[in-house]
Order: sequence, then structure tokens, then C-alpha cells
Amino acid sequence: MQTANANKSELVIETKGLSRVYKTYKKKEGILESIKGFWDRQYEEKVALAPTDLQIAGGQIVGLVGANGAGKTTLLKMLSGLIHPSSGTAQVLGYTPWERKHDYLRQMSILLGQKNQLWWDISPMDSYLLLADIYDIDKATAIKRIHHLAEILKAEHVLQTQLRRLSLGERMKMEIIGALLHEPKVLFLDEPTIGLDIVAQTSIRQFLAEYAKEKKPTIILTSHYMDDIAKLSDRLLLISKGKMVYDGTVKDFTKKSRTYQKISFSLSEPLDKDLHIASQNLTKGTQEISIQISNEELQIALTQITQISGVQNLKIEEADFEDSIHAFLEAQ
Amino acid sequence: MRFWKRNKAFFKLAVLSNLEYRLNYFIDAILQPMIAAGIEVTLWYSLFHTLGKTEIGGYAQNSYLAYALWTAFVTRISINWMYEFRMIEDIESGTINSLLVRPISFFESHLSQFLGYKIVTTLISLSIPLTVTWIFGLPFDYSKIPLALGLVTYYLFFLHLTSFCVATFAFHLNKIHSFTVAKNLTLWVLCGELFPLDLLPEPLKSIIINLPFSSGVYLPVGYLTGRVSHETLMQGFLSTTVGIFIFAVISIGLWKKGLSSYSGTGA
Repeated sequence: MQTANANKSELVIETKGLSRVYKTYKKKEGILESIKGFWDRQYEEKVALAPTDLQIAGGQIVGLVGANGAGKTTLLKMLSGLIHPSSGTAQVLGYTPWERKHDYLRQMSILLGQKNQLWWDISPMDSYLLLADIYDIDKATAIKRIHHLAEILKAEHVLQTQLRRLSLGERMKMEIIGALLHEPKVLFLDEPTIGLDIVAQTSIRQFLAEYAKEKKPTIILTSHYMDDIAKLSDRLLLISKGKMVYDGTVKDFTKKSRTYQKISFSLSEPLDKDLHIASQNLTKGTQEISIQISNEELQIALTQITQISGVQNLKIEEADFEDSIHAFLEAQ
Repeated sequence: MRFWKRNKAFFKLAVLSNLEYRLNYFIDAILQPMIAAGIEVTLWYSLFHTLGKTEIGGYAQNSYLAYALWTAFVTRISINWMYEFRMIEDIESGTINSLLVRPISFFESHLSQFLGYKIVTTLISLSIPLTVTWIFGLPFDYSKIPLALGLVTYYLFFLHLTSFCVATFAFHLNKIHSFTVAKNLTLWVLCGELFPLDLLPEPLKSIIINLPFSSGVYLPVGYLTGRVSHETLMQGFLSTTVGIFIFAVISIGLWKKGLSSYSGTGA
């Protein structure tokens, strides 16, 4: 695994052997199995995060990328103190997160893109004033910050509307203001743009970039949209099946990804048997094909492709950031 | 200072949230206890007429009617199933996450909201039995109101602790609403909502009256309507204090155990 360890003296986040195992109840289908489950339950253990060592320096924006269930959210939940680890230690700003000391909680914030954290039945403004009391911010300062953040997010018109009546995009903007109101030193953003349209995604991305530039918090960001990661992060962590498989700068990863080419083509008839194109396997029945191969394999791949009958719309492109990440994770 | 500031904020949140839905508030604070009082009063009235007696257990019909009327409204204050359901729901759905990552405790925030909700509904709903008592001249001592309501308020801390203990089971089990239903059915008898506890035979009567649950309804309502002495009421403060201590110890243990196995549901 490549690493980009931070200078020890300015570490804000440090984990040693941090892991989490979930125990889940496994139930077979059917009424009989449900009845049997009253006295005989089968449990299985799933490693959500394998022992992880991590060091993050102050002011860094770290993009945490991985497939669903890779362990990204589990890591954020432990670092924010939401859940306890199965083993290992973590220090964030010098605190053990799951001890949930108020002094720690006042300095960090977590935004869970798939979960409301403001109060559903009241307006965002009422929620913010409640948060101001919780974080001990005086009312005038809080109101000034709320209007400043809402102005940048172009969301001032919904501050007084009950949260439940807002659209997903508006709600996410309100959640972001709620997460930043106390100006946290450490910010965990879990899918902040999930489910949003392209306009809302761009506006939130721009806002976060400006905020990070101005306040310089330490940020760990997870997102399924690679644009979020590429444009906001200066360090990339790739996680696969609970293990860190890449830790380096986004720049290095992008440089490395340029050694890959994306070849796509379609066939007039689906493949009648399994085929190998360079190191890639094509399965029987495939008609639309998109593969990623290294520059060294390009010549041999093209020779093999031209031998297939009915090849149409052949395209060769340099792999982009998202393709490279997918290829990297699939190879793990 | 921070403690009062943040708890005042949650108290205010409950007031705001409840006033947001006007019809629900009206039904909850006025209509629901009026229906409960109507049923209880009719039952006791019918019982006296069917039996053809002037007294049951040493008390006259008017005493039972006053007890039934006030029980419906005091119970309105001293029940907590709604907030218990909310705490359970918060843990089951993962809504608790938004509290766990902020400098506020889950226990405190729900207690402050619970008290805020009680204040906003109690002030309105108690005006009804006061008016009915005055119109029909039912046995009632107005000077005893502060002490009786003091006991009910104190009992709310005990009640919240019991609800908190029940809710922590949601960290380990997926559906536990039936726990709340079973608990409330038990409390229905133990607190004296179903009938005055002095109708129970000894030694059951002394045992149940000395449990903290009687401070929720029987002791304050009995004290207001002339069935319970000042000494017995004061014993209610004592038994509630013991109950608070016991359940506080249990709840600390359950909370720590629950959090260590919590998986941060829904996020």
C-alpha cells in the first residue's frame, strides 16, 4: 500500500489498528425458519473495517473512496464518536472520539448525507438557534454566520420554512449550515452531495471548496461522485472490503491513472463464447464492451479486438479519474 | 450555565414542535383527557347506582367522581409513553446519531423536551377539571395543589428514567415497542389510574402505595380529593427519591452497554 503519512507534530487524526466487526442475524426465508429463529438464531460476523493505521495532518482534505460496504462510513462513525471500535485506538484533536467528551464534540462535526440531523418539525432557523445554545454561541454571532453561509449557498429564502417541506437539495444546504455553524476544526462529510442534481452538486462543491480555503478545517470526505473527491481533496484514501488499499495524493493517483486507456466498442451480435482481450475477460453474451488496460497492453489488445467480427464504434480514450479508481478497486 | 442554556433550548423545542400542529395539540391536551374523564366518571356513577350504595370503601360517590375526574387529567401529566416511543424510535432509526455527535446528552435532551411538552399541555388541560370541580362542588382542596403538582413533577424524573431504561434495549433488539405497552399496562394499575389504590386488600395496598409509581396519580389525586393524608404524600417524595436513585444506577449501566454495541444505524 502506498502511504502519504503526515508530519507527526501536526497530526489531527491518528488511528492504530482501528477496526470494527458487526454481528448480524442471518435468517433463512419462510415461516418455519422464522419460528425456528425463536430458539435457534444464526449469527455471522462481518468485518466492516480491518485494523487500520491512519495519520492525517491539520488542514488536510482527505477523500475517502470505496464501493458500498467498503467501510468508509464505519471509519467516519468511529472517528466522530458515534460507534465504538472492536479493536484499536483513535485520537482526534487529542481526544478518544467514542468517549464523547463535550470539548471534543464542540470542535468537530459530521454530516451524514443520507440522514437528517436538523429537526424535522421546525424551521432551519429555529434549529440553528437551538444549535447555537447547544454549542454555546451567542445569538448575534450565530445569526450572522447563518446568513453568511445561507447567502453563499443561495438558500436564504428557505431559512424560515419547516424542514419537512424543503426539497432534498435545499435540505442538504440547510444540513451543511447546521454542520458548520460552530466552525468545527474537524469535519467529516459522508456523501454530502448524494441524490442531488448536477446544479446543486456543483453549488455545494464550490461552497465546500471556499469554506475549506477560508477556515482551513481538517476534512474527511466520502462521495460516490469522483468530481467531489478530485476537486476538493488533496489526499486520497482508497478502501476496499474494509482495508486501505491506497493512500497517496490525488495528483499522484491521477498521474498514475494516465498509464491506463479506456477502450469501448459494440458488437453487431452478442459474443457467442468467453474471450480474453489482453488481461481482461469478456463473458459470453456481452454486446457493449468497455475495458481498461495499461499502455503496455494497448497494442496486443487492439490486435485481438480487430480479430473479433462485427466490431463497431471503437473508441480509445485516456481513462479519467473515476474510471481509474473503479479499475483500481476492482483489481483489489 | 451551559447545562441550563442547552436544556432550556430543548425545552423550547418541545413547545415549538407541539404548537406547530394545532389540531393535534387540541386533541392531545383537551379532548383526550376529557374522553378519559367522561368514561371514568360514568363508570363510577353507574357502579354506585347499580349497587344502590352511598359509600364504597368508606368514601361517598362524589369522592369517587372527583378522583375519576382528576385522575384523567393528572394521568395526562404523569404518563410518558409518547416520549418513550420517541426515544426507542430515535435509537432504532438512527436519529440518535444527531445527538450523539453533539455536546448534549440523549437523556437530558429528551427529559427537557418531555418537560417542555408537559408544561405546554398541562397548563391548558388542568383548567378543565378545575372548572368542573368548581361548578359541581366536588370534594377538593385548592390549597393542596402546589404540593400535589410538586410530587407529580418530581415523579416525572423517575418516570423518564424508567422510559430511558426501556429505550436502551433498542440498542440490542430491533423492535421493542411491546415493552412500552406492557410497562404502561402495569403502571395503569400500580399508579392508581384504574381505581383508587386504597380499594386493594392488605398487604397489597400498603406495598403498592409505598412503591414510587403511586406518586404519579394515586397520591397526588388522593391528596387533592381527601383520600390521602399529608404524611402519606410526603412518603411519596421519599419512595420516588429511592426509585430515582435505583433507576439512575440501572440506566447508567444500560446506556454504557447499549452504546458499546451500537452500530450507528441508518447512516
